[in-house]
Amino acid sequence: MPEVLKAPLVVEFPFTRSLGPVQSAFLTGLRERVVLGVRTGDGRTLVPPVEYDPVTSEDLHDLVEVAPTGTVTTWAWNHEPRRGQPLDTPFAWVLVRLDGADTALLHVLDAPGPDAVRTGMRVRVRWAAQRSGAVTDIACFEPYDGPPAEPGTHDGRFEDLVTGIVAPARLDYTYSPGRAQSGYLHALAERRAVGERCPSCRKVYVPPRGACPTCGVATTEQVEVGPRGTVTTYCIVNIKAKNLDIEVPYVYAHIALDGADLALHGRIGGIPYDQVRMGLRVEPVWSPGGGHPDHYRPTGEPDADYETYKELL
Amino acid sequence: MSKEPVAVVGIGQTKHVAARRDVSIAGLVREAARSALADAELTWADIDAVVIGKAPDFFEGVMMPELYLADALGAVGKPMLRVHTAGSVGGSTALVASNLIAGRVHGTVLTLAFEKQSESNAMWGLSLPVPFQQPLLAGAGGFFAPHVRAYMRRTGAPDTVGSLVAYKDRRNALKNPYAHLHEHDITLEKVQASPMLWDPIRYSETCPSSDGACAMVLTDRAGAARSPRPPAWMHGGAMRTEPTMFAGKDFVSPQAGKDCAADVYRQAGIADPRREIDAVEMYVPFSWYEPMWLENLGFADEGEGWKLTESGVTELDGDLPVNMSGGVLSTNPIGASGMIRFAEAALQVRGQAGEHQVDGARRALGHAYGGGSQFFSMWLVGAAPPSS
Repeated sequence: MPEVLKAPLVVEFPFTRSLGPVQSAFLTGLRERVVLGVRTGDGRTLVPPVEYDPVTSEDLHDLVEVAPTGTVTTWAWNHEPRRGQPLDTPFAWVLVRLDGADTALLHVLDAPGPDAVRTGMRVRVRWAAQRSGAVTDIACFEPYDGPPAEPGTHDGRFEDLVTGIVAPARLDYTYSPGRAQSGYLHALAERRAVGERCPSCRKVYVPPRGACPTCGVATTEQVEVGPRGTVTTYCIVNIKAKNLDIEVPYVYAHIALDGADLALHGRIGGIPYDQVRMGLRVEPVWSPGGGHPDHYRPTGEPDADYETYKELL
Repeated sequence: MSKEPVAVVGIGQTKHVAARRDVSIAGLVREAARSALADAELTWADIDAVVIGKAPDFFEGVMMPELYLADALGAVGKPMLRVHTAGSVGGSTALVASNLIAGRVHGTVLTLAFEKQSESNAMWGLSLPVPFQQPLLAGAGGFFAPHVRAYMRRTGAPDTVGSLVAYKDRRNALKNPYAHLHEHDITLEKVQASPMLWDPIRYSETCPSSDGACAMVLTDRAGAARSPRPPAWMHGGAMRTEPTMFAGKDFVSPQAGKDCAADVYRQAGIADPRREIDAVEMYVPFSWYEPMWLENLGFADEGEGWKLTESGVTELDGDLPVNMSGGVLSTNPIGASGMIRFAEAALQVRGQAGEHQVDGARRALGHAYGGGSQFFSMWLVGAAPPSS
């Protein structure tokens, strides 16, 4: 069996978030070295604060300052910090109940090793030198054996509020297109298009997926299709997509390769965009580097009759 | 044992806009929820379960809305479910909620759907750089535009029909205070002069990007009896799915859409939808989908849908008004768009649609679809309780 391909896929995007009044005050507070909690209907102080009362579901806005010192309520040692974590040396993940708060905040504790960490130990905030209104404005917690700090009396009203944050998301995958698509890609490298026929409905899938989506059975019989095909339908693209280096206008078409039972998608070139039509006969123009055709161009044959491709639109 | 009848007694939505920077996502969804509770004159304590839907996770990077939003939606101590069916999600979310009542699992259920497109990136979410695959060459409109051309070829529809839909929907939106686009100076000429983006789709024939949320309170017979305002009664509801691409797929009129509509009509005892349904709110993200869905949903014979549009039948004062709210063409928080269609159908039969009310609407269809014409969800609601 030919080699099944695989390659890294990194999915990464900087999502923006509007904070709403409570998180806005909380993060602005951190920027100003003030830790704020929110008072609930039953008189508890939640740190970090939440917008809505977890018991009554009512809006919460009574912000109160808590101390930058507190007690570890539980912890786990992290032997190998990973990319993007708050410290690059081994550290403890900790839940810290700050003095004046009724709930614990998740953060990290800078400690020499797991033997130096215990539930019930006293810690204090180590502020980041550069603060922007983010939970990382608390650089980490550190062991502390002094008296509890007196909480300030900040009420959560600030000039110049932080109203939004950027929350980058990143996922690292190893992607494999699987047996059928790998076979298709190997054939493309030899400038051939190879689909697979469903043993049940006899339809030919290009590109093949390894199974027929209608019959739900595996497809294994390889069928060479094309290289010529028919434009079944298309649109003229007049706006430039950010990730594509193609001059507009261009034609984006559905192309039924000869012998295939559904159309694939491709760009049409070698003809003015406004002369492309349904039924146009085309052939692939291969990229120098192999892989998918760069585009398709007219073969010069007469147009296909509508009746021959109307089921493939 | 027969099913419990399902009634809509509360409807809420936010004023849809391009960007709601003053609230968090939780704050936005909650706003719709509170408005639905207020409409029903109920409190969080009256809700037995919460069913929420949203856009695909990559669109806005919120992977577990059910976890994040439990306290904002009064769901603590109650069952909370999340539904996930691409653009149709608002519709299927409402249907999952309705099934909990029809099956007598719960008496009163809050159902919601939302999206903050300003904090999302749908285009990015739809075009992840998957190795070995040919990149999508054309963006979202480019995916749909070839199907529109196929419809035009198949039916011989004149190329002005799309602009008529856009002009109608944008005028309807002017009567809907919640609609995103309020283009007071809209004219047919302006629509027809707008730039061609993905020929044959013009700029003014595409939907906007919106921030918004929609919520409904669904309840049983006993709950409906306590309702301060007339309920909308569910007469039928169905979902259907098909693969995004398969040999023989009809993108112009997908089989799953036909089957879904037929199931809803069977449940509701409807033999002739064109005559028996008074108003339709359907998911039309690009204007040409109005005539396409009119055929797919059985309101017109194959090839005839555009004639209903062209002759004014689908205007607000026409014989079969379509997208009274202004539709997806005027408001598109993707994750919520399906539920807004369902809610508009319910508003109409409750007689509470305000300036965009269809006089005497007794039965209305709400329709949503999503994916590459892959998921369909629909409900039919009526002013009177179902007969059986």
